[in-house]
Order: sequence, then C-alpha cells, then structure tokens
Amino acid sequence: MTTCTIVAGIMPNVTEGRVADAATGVRLATRSDESDLRELTSLAVQGDRSAIESLLGHLRPMVVRYCRARLGRVSGHYHIADDVAQEVCIAVLSALPRYRDMGRPFASFVFGIASHKVADALRSSVRSAVPTQDLPDGPDEGPGPEETVVRYIEAQHARDLLSRLPDNQRELLILRVVSGLSAEETGNVLGMSPGAVRVAQHRALARLRQLAELESIA
Amino acid sequence: MTTKRRRRPARFLGSYDDADVEADVLRTDAILDGLARREPVASGADAAIRMLGALVADVESQRLSSVSITPST
Repeated sequence: MTTCTIVAGIMPNVTEGRVADAATGVRLATRSDESDLRELTSLAVQGDRSAIESLLGHLRPMVVRYCRARLGRVSGHYHIADDVAQEVCIAVLSALPRYRDMGRPFASFVFGIASHKVADALRSSVRSAVPTQDLPDGPDEGPGPEETVVRYIEAQHARDLLSRLPDNQRELLILRVVSGLSAEETGNVLGMSPGAVRVAQHRALARLRQLAELESIA
Repeated sequence: MTTKRRRRPARFLGSYDDADVEADVLRTDAILDGLARREPVASGADAAIRMLGALVADVESQRLSSVSITPST
C-alpha cells in the first residue's frame, strides 16, 4: 500500500502522446548517458524522488515498446501490454531500495523483470475485459482503415516469425530494434560485448529472412 | 592479377576476421540502428527488414493507454 502511494506520486505523466515522436526519433544512448544513468540510479536507490522520476521517465518508453512487441494487441489495442509495462515499472520501484549495483547496468535489471512479467502474462490464459476508450468527437487524423489493416497484418506476421526464433535471438532483436537500444546497451542487458551483439543480430536477421522466405514458398 | 574472394553464407559466420562478413555485419548493424532510431530505412526486397519496420510502426502507432496505478480498494 505504501509502495503504491509512492508510485502514484512519482510516476511520470505519460498518459498522452505517443511512445516516441517519430519525427524526432529515438536517440540511442552514448557512453556519457550511461554514466549519467548510473549516477541517476544511485540517487534513485537512495530515495531521491526527482532521480526516481527521471529514471522511470528514461526507462518506461523502452519497457512499453518491449512489452508491446512481445505481447501484441488484444482486440486491436495494447491495453494488456501497457498494463504489463506498468506492472514492470511498479516492480522496479518496489525493488529499488533493495537494488545493489553489481557492475551490470540498471537496464539489465529492468529488462530482466520485464522478461519475467511478459512470460507470466503469456502463461496467463485469463484475459480480463478490455476497456474501451471514449468515442472520439472529431476527425481521425491517423492512417486509414486499409493502411491500418496492412500494417497490423505485417506487424503480426513479424511477431509470429520472431516467436519462431530461438529465445536469445528474439530477445536481442526486440531490445535492439523495437525497444531502440544501441548495440552497447543491448550487450549490457544481455551480458554480451557490442561486437558479439553485432554478429548475433546479423545471424538473427539472416534466420528471420530465411523463415520469411520459407513461408513465402510454402 | 586480382583474386576474387568467395562470399561465405551467413550460417558459416564465425570469427570476426573475414572482411566480407565483417562488412555484412556492419551493414546489418547500420540498418538495425536506423530502425532503432526510427529513421526511414529502405527495405527493398528484404522481407525481414520490412516486417521489423512494420512492427516498430505498429508499436509506436497507438497512444499510451491511461493506465491507473492507483491501488484498487
């Protein structure tokens, strides 16, 4: 209860707007960002509220993308994936006071939790009712129905093919491409060197290509 | 006299010492970096890149839901 009250107070307001503005793109972290993040994590572990807020503001979009890529849509919406991402953030906040820096980056700790939460959600056969948004009172500025359907089908196809990759290759491609991590950051999360990430992602993409080709022949 | 190097298929990709393979690895890294940065990437006939691009667009397309984190009573 105490944790939840704290969470409600410091969780960044991200209820409006997209995960990232496509025009500005996702900026990949540099080495100085990494040391900033380490310092931020250290302050957050000590209970600094603004550091916790900044840390979550930095990590949450990556967690949301990861959960969306792994769990997909239910009834056309990402409610389940977003709920799981929220659970991850709450779990991270709850675990923060007990977190000890063992040399690995904080992101690997966060994505470790995210991976378990996603696995729990995938195991769960019970799907709760999907809340619907209020009907929009104005023109829809988004893509039309045809474009939406084509994009949805291709995205779902990508998820199907990714699910057929070995776990380590799937995890690597989702973190690298969908969560938008750099090769260095992905390596930090998965315990690999940046060079090993580059070779492994090349192999994973080749495997994905092969699966797509086999499917188009069949 | 020039010697033509044979291109190794990706499944034999091993150590990081073959110039051709290294170039392929770096090319893949540049493409994935572009997707990760949400930059437009020309997929051409590459179905894997096109599908990853579609997945990224789909993930980014929907607004974040207003999930309440207030504990239920």
